[in-house]
Amino acid sequence: MLFESKLLRYLRVQFYRGTGIVGKSVRQAIMTARLFRREFIRMAERPVYWFVMVFAPLVCYAFFVTLMKTGLPQDLPIGLVDLDNTTTSRSIARNLDAMQQSHITQRFANITDARRAMQRGEIYAFFYIPRGTTHKANRQEQPTISCYINYAYLIAGSLTYRDMRMMSELASGAAARKVLYAKGAGERQAMAFLQPIVVETHAINNPWLNYSVYLNNTLLPGMLILLISMLTAYGIGTEIKDGEAHEWLTMAGGSIRRALLVKLVPQFVIFWLMGALYVFLLYGYLQFPCHCGIPVMLLNMTLLVVASQGLGVLLFAILPSLRMSMSVCALWGVLGFSMSGMSYPVLAMHPAVQGLSVLFPLRHYFLLYVNCALNGFPLQYAWTNVLALLLFSLVPHFFLGRLKYSLLNYTYVP
Amino acid sequence: MLNQFYRKYWRESFQDWLFIVGREARRVFRDEGALLFFIFLPLFYPVLYSLIYTTETIKQVPVAVVDDSRTNLSREYLRKVDATRDVRIVSVCANMEEAKELVRRREAYGIIFVPSGFKNDIVAHRQSRVHIFCDMSGLLYYKAILTANTDVSLTMNAHIKAERAGNFTAEQDKMTQQPIAYETVSIYNPQTGMASFILPAVLILILQQSLLLGVGLLAGTTREKNTLRELIPVEHHHNGLLRIVFGKAFVYLTIYVVQSVYCLGIIPRVFALPQIGNPLTLAFFLLPFLLSVVFFAMTLSALIRERENVILILVFTSLILLFISGISWPSAVVPKFWKMLSYIFPSTFGINGFVRINTMGADLLSVRKEWDALWLLTAFYFITCCISFRVRILRARAKTYNAILEKRHEKTVGAH
Repeated sequence: MLFESKLLRYLRVQFYRGTGIVGKSVRQAIMTARLFRREFIRMAERPVYWFVMVFAPLVCYAFFVTLMKTGLPQDLPIGLVDLDNTTTSRSIARNLDAMQQSHITQRFANITDARRAMQRGEIYAFFYIPRGTTHKANRQEQPTISCYINYAYLIAGSLTYRDMRMMSELASGAAARKVLYAKGAGERQAMAFLQPIVVETHAINNPWLNYSVYLNNTLLPGMLILLISMLTAYGIGTEIKDGEAHEWLTMAGGSIRRALLVKLVPQFVIFWLMGALYVFLLYGYLQFPCHCGIPVMLLNMTLLVVASQGLGVLLFAILPSLRMSMSVCALWGVLGFSMSGMSYPVLAMHPAVQGLSVLFPLRHYFLLYVNCALNGFPLQYAWTNVLALLLFSLVPHFFLGRLKYSLLNYTYVP
Repeated sequence: MLNQFYRKYWRESFQDWLFIVGREARRVFRDEGALLFFIFLPLFYPVLYSLIYTTETIKQVPVAVVDDSRTNLSREYLRKVDATRDVRIVSVCANMEEAKELVRRREAYGIIFVPSGFKNDIVAHRQSRVHIFCDMSGLLYYKAILTANTDVSLTMNAHIKAERAGNFTAEQDKMTQQPIAYETVSIYNPQTGMASFILPAVLILILQQSLLLGVGLLAGTTREKNTLRELIPVEHHHNGLLRIVFGKAFVYLTIYVVQSVYCLGIIPRVFALPQIGNPLTLAFFLLPFLLSVVFFAMTLSALIRERENVILILVFTSLILLFISGISWPSAVVPKFWKMLSYIFPSTFGINGFVRINTMGADLLSVRKEWDALWLLTAFYFITCCISFRVRILRARAKTYNAILEKRHEKTVGAH
């Protein structure tokens, strides 16, 4: 008897506890749904959300992809100062013009004119063949020809340099080959004499030296980081600015975790879709090297979106002023492009700056992309970068208390 | 009589102008947000960027070596490669697999592979090959490895040629090695450095963007604080359009003249960037640049409703403006559409003009096109600025008028 009643009581308690849990979860679900509704209304009322989430990324994608659609710049304008004016010098000029990256657009009477054209920005480099070059070459007196390259435009300068150096080598080679042929050497013999050691370059995974592959793989996600972190700080900060932070937290039942989650999920979904768009654009439509397959890059992109949201939350928790946190997010995002090491390797930076590069999410994403998509190495070679991106999204959890405090107690300072 | 009227008119305008200048200056220096953009950003951002790029170029790129030849010639080749400035050999690996592992771990950024027949081919008067494999994550790695190997192969080739030719004199050797000598002269950026290349453009861009952000932020604040959410208050000092426009522009211009001297005069000097321009030419060139940016900023500011929106809207354009200007991406290959679009931003002409004057020592005549364009932009944005301010003034007046009417209406309704 006694045992039975005990059992019944136990069951009854369990039953009520169960309904209690169900009731609680139903209440929580309704609360969350209300919060979502509130968030959607906020987003609908402010066009700037859609500007940042949809319009800005689309503009960036369209801009950078169409800007670099040639991949490797071709037919860059260069000048020629040919004071020799013989068949040899003209053939040098013709060959140079025929090269892929250079196109002789102007001929000058002297160096000064060429220099002026360079200062006007009309040409990136010029080739100088002094008077008597052919004459000297025939008399075996070693004439000198020169190329002047304007490195104030570094990319254009480097590209024309390659062609000019090649042409100079060829000019020299052509002269020597003539002598060898005259002595009765065959072509293979002649080449073996002219160039005993040949360097064969293998540009792994980007043999076209495609600048679009080289830059867009990092520029587009970098833009996303910038926009996501700024918008995250904006979303939280405007609650204080509008004096609605109290209402927001009350609606979330006083749980900063729930309030924040509901705020960030809609942004996450849309940014994730924009991220997926660039992944499919680059690796699906434009067929950029992606040795790991698109799913892995989608995973990396997801990490990137979450990390940037984390960065936004963290910066706002540390600097609970809308203006300051957004400015620092902007600073972080823009500096990220340089600190990622995509254009200028981190290895080459000032030692004081090198260590700081780990503080930028784009740096980790860049290394992940290089490891997975470009080189096709297994993910474990970049596990530290995965961890770092996860840390960016996890660290803000330690600052949630502070964030709640500032949401409840701070007033908006313009 | 008429004379007196004019005198009164001018005195009044000047007093209004002075009032607006004082008010605007006070607002700039009391608003922390505006200070952040007007003062701190142009002060610290250039230093940060300079620190990142100050080493100019990459040296000693780590590479792995697989030497299957193991002869004195292959060792000589590798020794010479190791001795170049560009490359450092970190490991001599037994096979390619081992070298690849080093690349995977990011301990090396390239592999030099010397095949087993390297010396045999040279001795047998056949062409011999050295293979280099480069990690393409950064083009500078590729460039460094390629340059080092090309240079070494050319010197060794010259040596081998001279040995084989069996000449009698050194002069003959020279001719055998290189019948036509050549030299490459890198002008305006002799160290082919990254800082000398990108920083001048970044400096101009910082000036423009910070000005746009600051003016936009101030306008947003004014509209948020104003009871009618209008940019220009309705009161007797804010009557004349030109007084308002010139008053505000004067304050911004004064601040940015100082900032320009710092960003474009002192920063390049401190970080040893190329600076061969004539300061006077530069000043002449910067005048229309700053003016056009100021009026551009004021035009845009009339559209800003909320102060923080300006950060969201403007910051992401910075990188686009850098690429569109034709410095990092050669302008010769910028698509037509984007090129046309770039003409509406003062930074496009500002960057090109500044780089040519400061880095390349051009005179004003050489940047004539940019100079003219900037004056055109100044005129254009001055007009748009006046129009948008006029619209704002009229709207503010209409709103005030309506508010007064409503109040009167309420009174009469209340009286009844």
